[in-house]
Amino acid sequence: MAEDITAMIRAAQAGDGRAFESLLQEHYEIIFRMAFKWCGNRADAEDITQNACIKLARNIETYKFEAAFTSWLYRLVINTAIDWKRQNKTHIALPEHADDTISTGDSSAEDKLQAREMLAQVMALPEKEKTALLLVFSEGLTHAEAAFAMGCKESTVSWYVHEARKKLGVKDDGKKKERRHG
Amino acid sequence: MDDRQLERILKNIESPVPDGNAKKRAVNLALVEFDKHQKEKAEKRQGFSLFGRLTDSSDKNTRRTVMQRRLVYGGMATAMVVVLAATMSVTQQTATFTKGAELKPAPAYTGGGNDFSSIATNIQTSQSWFSGWGGKAKEQRMAQNESVSQTYAKAVEESNKQNVEKAINSGASSLPVPVSTPTGKLSVGENQPADDGRVMEREEIASADSAAAPKPSMPMQEPAKKSEMRARGDLQAQVAGGRAYTEADRLARQKMPETKAMASPPPASVAIAPGVIAPQPPIVMNDEEMGQNYYKDVGRDKFEHVDDNPPKVVSAEPVSTFSIDVDTSSYSFMRRQLNEGVLPQKDAVRIEEMVNYFDYDYPVADTKEAPFKPTVAVEPCPWKAGDKLIHIGIKGYDLPAGEHPHSNLVFLLDTSGSMNSPDKLPLVIQSMKLLLDSLQPDDTVAIVTYAGNAGTALEPTAVRDKARILSVLENLGAGGSTAGAEGIRQAYNLAESHFDKKSVNRVILATDGDFNVGITDPNELKSYIERERKTGIFLSVLSFGEGNLNDQLMQDLAQNGNGVAAYIDNLNEARKVLVKEATSTLFPIAKDVKIQVEFNPATVAEYRLIGYESRHLNREDFNNDKIDAGDVGAGKAVTALYEITPVGGQRLVDDSRYQKPLATEALDKSKSDNAFSGEYAFLKIRYKLPDEDTSKLITTPITTSDDRTLESVSDDTGWATAVAGFGQVLRGGKYTGEFTYDDVINLAQAHKGKDEYGYRSEFIQLVRLAKSAAAIQKN
Repeated sequence: MAEDITAMIRAAQAGDGRAFESLLQEHYEIIFRMAFKWCGNRADAEDITQNACIKLARNIETYKFEAAFTSWLYRLVINTAIDWKRQNKTHIALPEHADDTISTGDSSAEDKLQAREMLAQVMALPEKEKTALLLVFSEGLTHAEAAFAMGCKESTVSWYVHEARKKLGVKDDGKKKERRHG
Repeated sequence: MDDRQLERILKNIESPVPDGNAKKRAVNLALVEFDKHQKEKAEKRQGFSLFGRLTDSSDKNTRRTVMQRRLVYGGMATAMVVVLAATMSVTQQTATFTKGAELKPAPAYTGGGNDFSSIATNIQTSQSWFSGWGGKAKEQRMAQNESVSQTYAKAVEESNKQNVEKAINSGASSLPVPVSTPTGKLSVGENQPADDGRVMEREEIASADSAAAPKPSMPMQEPAKKSEMRARGDLQAQVAGGRAYTEADRLARQKMPETKAMASPPPASVAIAPGVIAPQPPIVMNDEEMGQNYYKDVGRDKFEHVDDNPPKVVSAEPVSTFSIDVDTSSYSFMRRQLNEGVLPQKDAVRIEEMVNYFDYDYPVADTKEAPFKPTVAVEPCPWKAGDKLIHIGIKGYDLPAGEHPHSNLVFLLDTSGSMNSPDKLPLVIQSMKLLLDSLQPDDTVAIVTYAGNAGTALEPTAVRDKARILSVLENLGAGGSTAGAEGIRQAYNLAESHFDKKSVNRVILATDGDFNVGITDPNELKSYIERERKTGIFLSVLSFGEGNLNDQLMQDLAQNGNGVAAYIDNLNEARKVLVKEATSTLFPIAKDVKIQVEFNPATVAEYRLIGYESRHLNREDFNNDKIDAGDVGAGKAVTALYEITPVGGQRLVDDSRYQKPLATEALDKSKSDNAFSGEYAFLKIRYKLPDEDTSKLITTPITTSDDRTLESVSDDTGWATAVAGFGQVLRGGKYTGEFTYDDVINLAQAHKGKDEYGYRSEFIQLVRLAKSAAAIQKN
């Protein structure tokens, strides 16, 4: 699978349109998912995803295999999203039907409400902190990977996450999952 | 709130499944971009290689100097030729001149208008050859360029060597043999010998022309001078050496002017023959080039699937109800497909839209208050012996020119990347210009575009200020994604800001189909448009292009917005919809027009409504004013056809063995003294005036006195029958038996009528096209 993707990327970089298309088909969902989490509603997410795809067409050859393709993709999506937000300056709203989009499994309505409030707060965080939080917690990236995606140092990611936590009023519960680096 | 909770919540954000359409669109756009990028890359390749070198040029548009022009023939080559030329000056000189003289078409120097045009043609051909060289926007690849240049360099070198030998052998005064240039090495190489002569021609002519008017006498002196010089050989050696040097150098550098000629419109050819010929080879090349960057979708047109209305038994279901449909998009889409030699998909054929595409001369009502006067006729059915066709025609009251209400229009134009195609955005712009002409000076127009993000391109502006509107229209360009929903919202806001109860407030949406970004749910958008309709802002939809046409959504939007859905496939159609029928497109005279026909079981056994499948209403909807239906614009003719099987005719549905239809017994008794025995059916039409909310009713019986024979049928009735027949055959001919395209043609020919605008003749052509397309498909 991984070799497939690598081969696809190499072919696309060499100018093979078909390889690029399958690459895109393969990754559209990842891009969309990230965009959705970042902006919180489908309409904007589709917009961002489309822009990201177009951007990918121009930039695929700048991928140098120095990190996982998905990490690199995250970076592209985040940059696109930030660009997009700057262009649009529209209010980024929570999904209108938040109940449908936030799955809290078997939890009660109260939990759902809480989750929704929480997400609203996450959305309101400064861009970088929000991004760091989403990458680390939601997408399950390590701090190092998140750092690559965000184009900053690993320690900066940790700091963003820490800041975000502080702002959200999250207490450390002792069982700290986050590893300290640097 | 603790860490784990946060993590859980974030982990559980579940993004919705991406929309298939949005994905397709995004992938397509990205692919277009990818191709474009690859092409650019190939053109702008940098490198150390002599022929790959980029040089700077100033870009007039951005006023910047950019490194983008490739110097195809590098300085090294120039230097080599210069050295060669300088050392072999004498022979080189004669050789060059002879070459020039021999290859030049003789009449070019005799002056006169014809000769100038022939020069211009020569220039044109040589230029189109030049344009193969270097420069941006070129198809030719580096490899070819290199080999061509090498061939060329060899050619020059070889010719030089040969000339030197010949000169030595035969002396300076003898005439050198024409240069033999290697031909056939490359296809382009064949152009080489001709090239030398033409370049010189061009330069000479250009210089001749610098004195404003072409002076044939000046070039004429040149060859004379040359032969003189050749004769004097030795004496002139010194001077000629200099000349030869310049000639050779010019030859070597000829690529440079060419690249310049490419970057800016060809200066030489424009200057040469003012008014004689306008050579345009570079433009042709550009078109070719751009053609590949156009966005083209294939096979993703979306149509709602409908089954043909089945025949119904009168005793079981005596009442038929439907909403009228004034759209015409199906016809123009079908026309486009047939013109491309393809039979349209069955769902794209909506018979009522085809029939209603044509204008009919039904009698018009006299007042605005009672805007319709139904016209009914009964004729023998051409595709089933014994059956009859009931023909119902209504024509809306036509507003006299002075009574046109003011219009407050908002053009909502899709400028997304997919509109980048000659039959899309450019046609949209043309269409809007046409529409401007049919508006009054006091009407206001605003323009909202959407691509990526929606934006107001033009605040509401009076049509009087046409220049401003035109300048905005002309500067529109396509690019980006489609944020349709946001665009619609902005358009409605603008329309609201200039809302005037007395005028027609309308948003005119021009798009190629799907809004891929911004709408989660088409139903949401529909209900939004419906809400706006209730405030008095209507929506009309003009759709463009093919391959990814979302006809279904467009239909739904227009229906919910009380507007017309038209498909514009060419400028002619734009003219028909926006100029010729502008009044019916813009000004509604009645809304929610419904038709209900009750058949008389005493005379009619079965009936079948032809077309209007998607406009079916329930019986009880007819009197319910809340139920939305179609709208009729000023002067618009609407036609509906029923095929009926009279009692005693050959029926498609058998009687039930066990259930005796309730009505029959009562009927049998009353048959003889039935007061309605002369009636086929009873027609009821409900409509609302544009600014009212309660409906009015028009009724008329359809009686045996409306019976016509095939001979006495009016042209309009006959024509509608032919069109309906064609539509049914295109849809598979489920109920039309042996009716063929030829029958359609015969019937149409017989009832063509005056056909002032040629639409009916065009229809007959289309039937012929369909016939051949069907024959091809069968093979």
